[in-house]
Amino acid sequence: MIKIKGVTKTFGVGADRVNALTPVDMHIEKGEFIAIVGPSGCGKSTLLRLIAGLEDVTDGSIDLGSKDKKRPVGFVFQDAVLLPWKTVAENIRFPLDTSAVPRSVSDAKVAELIALIGLTGFERALPKQLSGGMRQRAAIARALADDPPILLMDEPFSAVDLLTRETLNDELLKIWEQTGKTIVLVTHSVEEAAYLGTRVMVMSARPGRLRKTFKADIPQPRSEETKRDPRYLDLVSELRTMMREPVL
Amino acid sequence: MLLRGLLGLVGFVALWSAAIPLFGVPDHVLPSPLEVVERLGFLYDHGNLLMHIEVTLIEIFWGFTIGLVLGVLFAVIFARVPFLERISTPLILLLQTAPKIAIAPLLLLWLGLGAAPKVVLVAIVTFFPVMTAMLTGIKYVNKSYIDLADVLKLNSWQRFLYIEFPSAIPTLFAGATVATTLAMTAAVIGELMGANKGIGFLLATGQEDADTATVIAMVILLSAIGWAFYALLDYLRVRMEDRYS
Repeated sequence: MIKIKGVTKTFGVGADRVNALTPVDMHIEKGEFIAIVGPSGCGKSTLLRLIAGLEDVTDGSIDLGSKDKKRPVGFVFQDAVLLPWKTVAENIRFPLDTSAVPRSVSDAKVAELIALIGLTGFERALPKQLSGGMRQRAAIARALADDPPILLMDEPFSAVDLLTRETLNDELLKIWEQTGKTIVLVTHSVEEAAYLGTRVMVMSARPGRLRKTFKADIPQPRSEETKRDPRYLDLVSELRTMMREPVL
Repeated sequence: MLLRGLLGLVGFVALWSAAIPLFGVPDHVLPSPLEVVERLGFLYDHGNLLMHIEVTLIEIFWGFTIGLVLGVLFAVIFARVPFLERISTPLILLLQTAPKIAIAPLLLLWLGLGAAPKVVLVAIVTFFPVMTAMLTGIKYVNKSYIDLADVLKLNSWQRFLYIEFPSAIPTLFAGATVATTLAMTAAVIGELMGANKGIGFLLATGQEDADTATVIAMVILLSAIGWAFYALLDYLRVRMEDRYS
C-alpha cells in the first residue's frame, strides 16, 4: 500500500546542508500498524511528513497507492492543531466542510466520530476548554473525518499524562480494529511502539536512517494482559537495547 | 482600579483648584476647574455644544470605518499578490511619513471646509496601522495551521477564509486600537486647520478669543472622547483575542 523507495531528505544548501534522512526503503501493507521509534533528530518526523506530502523528497519516491483520492492521508499532529475559533464539532467537520460535503452528511459523520472517540457532550466546547488528552481525541476524529485509508500520527500522545496516554493507546487500537486503517505512528517511547505496532521500525540519528524493522509477534487484540506477555517484554527489551547501543 | 483612578482625578482637580489662589495665577492663564465646568455648561446652553461634538464624532466614525475597511482590504490583496505590495509600499510609506498636519491644508483646498477633508484625513491615519497589523497577522500565521491546510489540500481561497483571516483577527484589532488615538488627532487637526463646526473649531475659536476656559474645556472633552474610543476598541480586542487565539 505504501511503497517508499530510496527516499532521502536534505535540508539547506552548500555548507549548511544537513542530511535529515539517508536512503530509506520500506513497504507498508494495507491495514498494518507501523510504529516508528527513535531518538530526537533521527528523522522519524521528517519521514512521516514526507509520507504526508508536507515536505518534498530530495531523492527517491513515495507511492501511497491511492492516486485517485484527494486526501489519501489523515494527519494527527503532536500538539493537536485544532483551530481555536471553532468548536470541537466544527473542527472535526472541517475536512468535510472544505470538500463540499453537504451538512446533512457531515453532521451525521461528526456525530458518529464523536461517539467513537468519546467526546459526547463536548461538541460545542472550544479547544481551549478541553484537556490535552481530549484535544488529541478531537484531532484524531478530525483526521478520520473524510475517511482517508492512511492515518499518520506524529508523537500524538507525547504531551499527555501517562494514564491518559495508556487509555488513548487502547482507544487507538480499538479504532484501528474497527476501521481497518493503515496507521503509521511516530513515538519516542519503546513501550508504546511495542504495544501498538504490528511492526516496529527503529531509526537512529546523525545521519537519520532506518536501522532495523522488528515484527511484533504479539497476539491481537492487545490489552493490559499484553504488558505481561514475555513476547512484548522481549520486544521492549530488544528495542531499548538497540536504541541505547552506540551507532558505529 | 476605577476607584483609584477616580481618587487620582479628584486629587488632580483639588491641586489645580488650590494652586490658583496659592500662586495668584491670573484667570486668562489658568481658570479654575469650576470655571471650566461653567464654560462647558454655557456652551451646552448657548453654543450648540452637542452639535459640535456630534460633528466631530461623525467625522471620526466615518474616517475610522473607511480606514479600517480599506486597511483590511489592502492587506488581503497584498497578502494574495505580493507583487502589488512591493510596488505600493514606497507610495504608502510616503503618504504615511508625510506629517498629517502638512496634508491637512491640501485636503481642505481640495475638499472644502466641510466634513469630507476630516474624514479623509482620519481614514489615512487609520489605514496604515490597520493594514500593517492585518498583513502581519496573515503572513505570520501559525506554521502548524499551514501544515493542516497542506494536509487538507486547501485551495488558496479556503486557506485565506478559514485559516489566515480568522487567525489574523487579534492582530487586526491590536492595530485598530493603536489607530484610535491617531484618528482622534487627525480629526482635530483637520478641524483646527479650517472648519465651521466641530470640537476642533470650538478649540480654535477659544484660542482666537484668548478664552482659556473654552480651550481647556475642549481639551478635556477630547481626552474623554479619545479615552472612550480607545477603551471600546481595547475591549473588542480582548474579546477577539479570547475568541480567536
